Parts: sequence; structure tokens; C-alpha cells
Amino acid sequence: MAGKRRFNYKTREGLQGYLFILPWIIGFIVFTAGPLLFSFAASFTNYNVTSQMDFIGLSNYERLFSGDQLFWTSLYNTLYYVLFSVPLTTIGAIFLSALLNRDIPGMRLFRTIYYLPAVLSGVGVYLLWMQLLEPGTGMVNTVLAWFGIQGPNWLFDPEWTKPALIFMKLWSVGGGMLLYLASMQGISKSLYEAAEIDGANAWQQFTRITIPMITPVIFFDIVTSLIGGFQIFQEAYVMSNGEGGPVNSMLFYNLYMWQKAFEAFDMGYAMAMSWILFVIVFALTIVNLKLAPKWVHYEGGGK
Amino acid sequence: MERFKWVPALLVMILVLSGCNGFTTGGSGAEEVEAENGKVTLDFWTFWGSEIRRPIIEQIIEDFNNSQDEIEVKHTFVPWGDIWTKELAAIAAGDPPDVVINDINATALRGKNQQAENLSKYLEEDDISGDFYEELWNATLYEGDSYGIPFNTDTRVLFYNKDAFEEAGLDPEQPPETWEELWEYAEKLDVKNGDKYDRLGFYPMFGVQTDVWMMNADQVNFVDENSEVKINTPAKLETLEWLNKWHEKYGADNINSWQAQMESQQANPFFSGDLAMLVQQPTFYTQIRDYAPDLNFGVALLPEKEPGNGHTSWGGGFVAEIPAGAKNPDASWEFIKYLTGKEAQEYWAVKNFDNVANIEAAESAASSDEFNDNGKMVYELAVEAMPLTMLTPTSLAAPDYMTLVNSEFDNVYLGKKTPEQALEDAQAAVEKLIEKNGN
Repeated sequence: MAGKRRFNYKTREGLQGYLFILPWIIGFIVFTAGPLLFSFAASFTNYNVTSQMDFIGLSNYERLFSGDQLFWTSLYNTLYYVLFSVPLTTIGAIFLSALLNRDIPGMRLFRTIYYLPAVLSGVGVYLLWMQLLEPGTGMVNTVLAWFGIQGPNWLFDPEWTKPALIFMKLWSVGGGMLLYLASMQGISKSLYEAAEIDGANAWQQFTRITIPMITPVIFFDIVTSLIGGFQIFQEAYVMSNGEGGPVNSMLFYNLYMWQKAFEAFDMGYAMAMSWILFVIVFALTIVNLKLAPKWVHYEGGGK
Repeated sequence: MERFKWVPALLVMILVLSGCNGFTTGGSGAEEVEAENGKVTLDFWTFWGSEIRRPIIEQIIEDFNNSQDEIEVKHTFVPWGDIWTKELAAIAAGDPPDVVINDINATALRGKNQQAENLSKYLEEDDISGDFYEELWNATLYEGDSYGIPFNTDTRVLFYNKDAFEEAGLDPEQPPETWEELWEYAEKLDVKNGDKYDRLGFYPMFGVQTDVWMMNADQVNFVDENSEVKINTPAKLETLEWLNKWHEKYGADNINSWQAQMESQQANPFFSGDLAMLVQQPTFYTQIRDYAPDLNFGVALLPEKEPGNGHTSWGGGFVAEIPAGAKNPDASWEFIKYLTGKEAQEYWAVKNFDNVANIEAAESAASSDEFNDNGKMVYELAVEAMPLTMLTPTSLAAPDYMTLVNSEFDNVYLGKKTPEQALEDAQAAVEKLIEKNGN
């Protein structure tokens, strides 16, 4: 009897909630928070995994900021990639889903075709793209040549390696497209009907109804692809043999971190790098969250 | 507001995941295998999973298992991209494999970091150091102690098309001996067609990179064993100028489109006779055998910079080593001895057409009846090249300096820097890295 009185309904529901997410919380503490704290501590040491872990103060951070040109190169490359890939993939995905949000016969087939690249991933795709982007006989330059355009030396020219990766990324906007499409299908038809009666054209309907209604998804997409963009690694690792490409133009932040961790075994240094990236991404996400109320529209006002 | 309270929390989680994603390493994979009938069981990790290599290494393991009744070796294939990061994680977790195949060039670095067991106590009883090529053996030493025993290796030699030589009025039995001859021969072998080439004589950076030619020129690594940076030297400058001359001769467009063809195995222009000379590993012969069996080709040592300078070549290779903390190091040592002994090495050499570290095995493989005339010709030359072959052991003071150096070479070929400027910058960058590393 006493037990019943100890918790009121609300507390009990809360406790039950925690019980349900307990496996996840334990997983988080053991497999994420633990290593995370460890990496923070080890970033102040000369940790090399096997034989040494001496406290060296801020020396890793000092080396990063004062004497490591490749740190800046890798940061520049990564920012470049994020700056172009995030807006382009977001716009691309919205554009594509707007096109695929029509009622014409065979639409399911088109949707499947455009979604397919998002299903394919990994090393196979990168190797395929290396062939497509091959300057002499690759498909991309062959098609460009049909229109009289002399295609660039994609992966061999340091000016074009990052655009090549962004171009490749655009090929798989299908994943984002699916989210937008689902969100667009949820927009009430009555809004469009009302607009039509008021004489709004298709463009006005798109900018005044569709876009505002899908802003929560745009917000989600931007935040996650921003984080994903900063993590770019595999593409560069595979397409430049782990070396960073011509003039280190594909030496992205995580690739450089990997080199420091597993080639130089300077794990403490790599951990310091990971924390700098963490701070950058964290700050950008805070900015995103602060800006969100100004443009993200939640239906029903449940903000 | 209530509904979206979880959003910041979720983002923090995602950030947390993003922050430490770079450190995801696979789990240890190695399972404790219970010893049967009192035998010691060893877990042996290699990255040899191909149709060709796997049966050969497994045959060697089986031969070893049958040769005695105390040790049972089990082979674990771990893909190339994973094997050493997994091994490192397994060492850190205290559950490493018993024997692993690892990169010879970083052996001293692993010794320094105590990732591998010091083999000196075994070598004191059983000195096998003289069985291997000296350059290979030295690469395994850290402060005089060995941390891995050389297994296989390679070198670089010049392959040339004899028919093309004859067509161009050159003697097919007289391959180029010097850089100057290389240039002259290439001029004669080139067949130009407008801006493009129907046949390319030679391009030094197909197959090998700038560093190999620099080593060929002055036999000095970029960072020597005393952590002195030797990048901006007169011989290396001359090499870079010479290589840039080749680059200008053919032009970036031609080079890039030929390079792409080289990368697809079967369409290699050397097989079709469109490329007259090419620097490659001796194992390139197996591709010629499989894809262009009728090609009339010869092999030669890497040409030397000037007469008498030396036909220095470059190679790498792998060692068999005992990861730090392995449970049965004595048994591991027995197996490594077998693996690097004459019998197993010769079997590996002949079946794989691969260079091996054991001198006696390499020399007897060269006269093996399993090779045909062409095979013998290539293998004999490879054995001849071995004593002239240098390694590039990882610098303990700056293990990853090549990232700084390669980009400077790229700048030269892109016409963004003069060779002088590039070498000066590379020298300064590597010196700074070493200084910052605190060595």
C-alpha cells in the first residue's frame, strides 16, 4: 500500500519511461560517454595506445594551432566541402521531391530510380565513380563532350577534387528526397485549393505553402547533413588511397586525424583533433538551434 | 515547447557520436581456441585472402602443423584495410593474435611503441639474421633489437617491349642503362599523333613515384636514421627537374589519361605495346603471363642517374611478428622460424612469383623448374636487384611526413612552384614537424 502512495501517476510514468530506454542509456554510458571522456582526458597526453600515456598539458593543442599546416589544410578542405555540399544537397533534394510529388502514371518507378543511389553505398560506389570521373574515357567527361565541354581532370586536378566529391554526393540525394517527399505528401490539399481559388500560381504555391510546411524537415536535414559533412572520410580514403589526393586537396579533417592516429600512432594528438572538431560542430549546431525559431514553422504551434 | 525538449538532447548525442567516430575500430575477432590434445593453438593473422595467395599460405600452415605435434596454427584472414587497426585494438585489449603479418617499414616504430614483442632473446639462441637481405633485416631493428622477421619483399625493375625496340631501330638486348639513355630511347620509341600519342616511350612516374627516382639518384632517404632531413639536396633537385622535364614533354592531359588506363589491369597499355617501357614490381610478370602471353618483352635493372651511380631500386615488404602480449610467444617464434625458413619461403616464392626475404630461398627459386623461360628471366633479375634495393623505413621522428612532401612534388608538376621552391618548402615543413614532435 505504501508503495502506491510513494509515487504519483506522473512520477510512475516517468520511471516507466526510463525503464524502457534503459538499454539505450546503458549503451550510451558504456560505449559512448566512456570513450568520449577517455578521449578528452587522453587528448592531454602523448597516448599511443600501447606504451605511453604521460600528461603533457595543452601541448597537443598548442602544436595543432601553432605549427601544423596540414591541420589548417584539412580544416579548410572540410569547411569547403560542407559549405557547398550541405546547401546543394538540400536544394537538390527539395527540387527532386517537388518533381516527384506529382500524380502522373509511373511515378512509383521514378521514385524508386531516384532513391536507388541512396541504397547503394560504400567502397563499390566510390570505385565506380573513379571510373565515371576518369578524365579521358570516363562517362562524365564523355557526356560533357557531347555538349562541346572539355571536362576537367576531376580527381587529378587539385582544383576539381572537392567539386568531384560534391558532385558524387549530389548523386545520392535520394535519401533526403524521401524525407521531403513524405513531408510534402502530408500537406493538406485544402491549402493548395484555397490558394488556387485566390489565384496563386504554381511558384507562389511552392514558396508560400510547400516550403513553409516542410521547414521542420529542412531543419532536420541541414543539421544532420552538416554533421555528416564534417565527418567525410571514406570517400577521400578510398579515392586517394588514404593519402589525401593531389596537393592534399582531399585531405579532410577525419582523414588527417586517421593518419595521425593509425599511421603516426599519435593517438593523443588525434584525440585533441577530434575535440576541436567536436567544438566546431557543437557551436554550429547551437547556432542552428538558435536560428531555427526564426524560420522553422511547426504546424499547430507546438514549439 | 514541451514536445521538442528532446531535440537539443538528441543533437548532443549525435554530436557525441560524430566527435569520436574516427576511433571506431572493430572488435578483436580473435577467439580463444581451446587447445586440443595438449597442443598449443596459435592464431595467425594475414591479409592474404585472394584466390591465389590464400591456398598458398594455408598450405604452408598445414605443412608446419604436420611437421611437429606441439603447435597447431589456425589462419585468420583479415582484410587489408582492417588488419592493423584491428590488431592495435586487440593489443590494447590484451587479447592479440599470436602471429601477424605487418608492414616491414614501420617495424621499428612498432618496436618503439611496444606493439610487437622484442625477438632478441630468441635470436641470441638462434641467430637467423644472416639468412635475410641486410636492408630488410635492418628495417626490423629498433635500438639494435629485432621486432619482426622479414617474410616477403619486392623491388622495382624496368620492363620493356622488345618488338617496339626493334621497330624504333634499337637493340632489343640493350635496355637503357642511364637516365640519359632512357630519355633518348623514349624519344625514339614515341609515336606521336597530333597532340596525342599512339605509342608512349616511357614515363618515369607510371608505376613508381618521385621518391623512388630521388633514392635512385642519391641513395638517401628523405629523413635519415638520425632524424636529419635530406630533402633539399642537389641530387634530389636534379631529379625533380629531370622528372618535371618528362612531365612537360608529355603534358598533364596525356599523362592522366594514360595513368587511368594503367590502373585497369587488363587494359594496361604495356600489354598492347602502346607503352614501350614501364617500371614495375617483378610480380607484374604474372599479369603479362595472364593477359598478354604473346608479348615479347625484356627486363632490366632500374637505369642509373650517371654511369657508376648505381642501379638503386626501391622496395617494401612484410614481416611476421609477435604482437605485444601474445600468450604463447615461444610457440609463435617456432612458427615464425618455419614461415621465414628456406622451405616455406621457396614454396611461397615459386607459387606466388613473389620476392622473398630469405636469400637462399630466393636464389633457389630463381632456378625453379616451375617457371618458364620468361619467368626465370624476370625472377633472376629480381634476385639480382634485391641487394640494390632500398627500403623507406618509417621515420621514428615523423612517421607521417610524406603527406607534407608529396603535395610539394604535386605543386611542381602542376606548375605552381619551381623545383627549388618546392624542395625548400618540403625541407622546412618536415623539419618543423620533427621539431614540433619534440624529437
